[in-house]
Amino acid sequence: MTPLLRDILATDALQIVFQPVVELIGDKLQLHMLECLTRGPRNTNAARADVMFEYVRRKRVEPTVDRACILLGLHAAAALPGTPDLSFNTHASTLGRDSEFPALLVAMADEVGIDPSRITIEIIEHAHGWDGATFDRALRTLRSFGARIALDDVGLGHSNYQMMIDTHPQYMKIDRYFVHGAHADLDRRAVLDSIAQLALRLGARVVAEGVEDTRDLLPLSDAGIDLAQGYLFARPLAAPELIASGWLQPSAPIAAPARSFACPA
Amino acid sequence: MAHILIVDDEETILFAMGQYIMAQGCTVDTARELEEAQALLSNIRYHLVVADLRLSGIHGSEGLDLVAMVRECCPSTRVIVLTAYGSAEMQQEALRRGADAVLHKSMPLADVADHAMRLLGCAA
Repeated sequence: MTPLLRDILATDALQIVFQPVVELIGDKLQLHMLECLTRGPRNTNAARADVMFEYVRRKRVEPTVDRACILLGLHAAAALPGTPDLSFNTHASTLGRDSEFPALLVAMADEVGIDPSRITIEIIEHAHGWDGATFDRALRTLRSFGARIALDDVGLGHSNYQMMIDTHPQYMKIDRYFVHGAHADLDRRAVLDSIAQLALRLGARVVAEGVEDTRDLLPLSDAGIDLAQGYLFARPLAAPELIASGWLQPSAPIAAPARSFACPA
Repeated sequence: MAHILIVDDEETILFAMGQYIMAQGCTVDTARELEEAQALLSNIRYHLVVADLRLSGIHGSEGLDLVAMVRECCPSTRVIVLTAYGSAEMQQEALRRGADAVLHKSMPLADVADHAMRLLGCAA
């Protein structure tokens, strides 16, 4: 095992943080689910999640690291108050190469007392090099336990029409590239509208990622997109910060950030 | 401030060269293997990459893969390849793939740093 991989898989090396996905209901917000994100070991190059997962893919050890991340994520989520829905990032290659992954995930969830129907698997990095039949079987197995499927980074790379057909996702997560600045960019608004209409036809809900600017809420609303995630609402939070933030309290939805900005025609 | 990536599978060289180049006022990242360097290069733009030709990989010339990657993903990044055993053909291949310089690993760190600073357009 290489030194960096050893660092990544060392006990207590990985940190779990949660970022709320919120539902926009009129001028109110409520928590829809929590995305469980993994941060790599401090003081290594893998401290940056983008570097860590690029390294993991290049070493072709996605199943090993995905298992570790989800195990930690489930344990961290199980300690949270309430029963929020949860999403976990998983490489398409893990689902396509690790035939035991779905059953293991369900067993791990069961062990910590999380019903699989609370879980959404976000499929990331869809570059090929895995077995299509194993991939399809994994999705069927996960669904049979009540888990949902999300397609991440829609609009970029391999997150394309073929993956929409192949995965039948319940969620399509639009990359921040198309969201950020949409209030002032007709092309981005056209892409948002197009994906929202496509998702409607395919029976999926759209999540807008990377929302940082209240002005971008209007084009989302105009497109009929009512799920969003980003620093405007909450940055990724460690469990104690998340609990202190109030997002998990079973109270009424909280007021949305002001959205009284004019949107260019 | 120049941002430099040093790639070598020998910790002592990484440490010593990192310290030396940081002393020139640069920010330094280090990587011990090909995939670690590739993951950094995929996400960070460096001004200069200093890479050992041989990185404990399968074919013994992983540095050439890095040169090719740098030329493809960040053409303005300068590249120095260090070699202890490389043949003349290997050195030619590194230059053909786009390395800006091929230096012998026995070269004093001060001279390597001097090459690096000149490539970056800075006085050493």
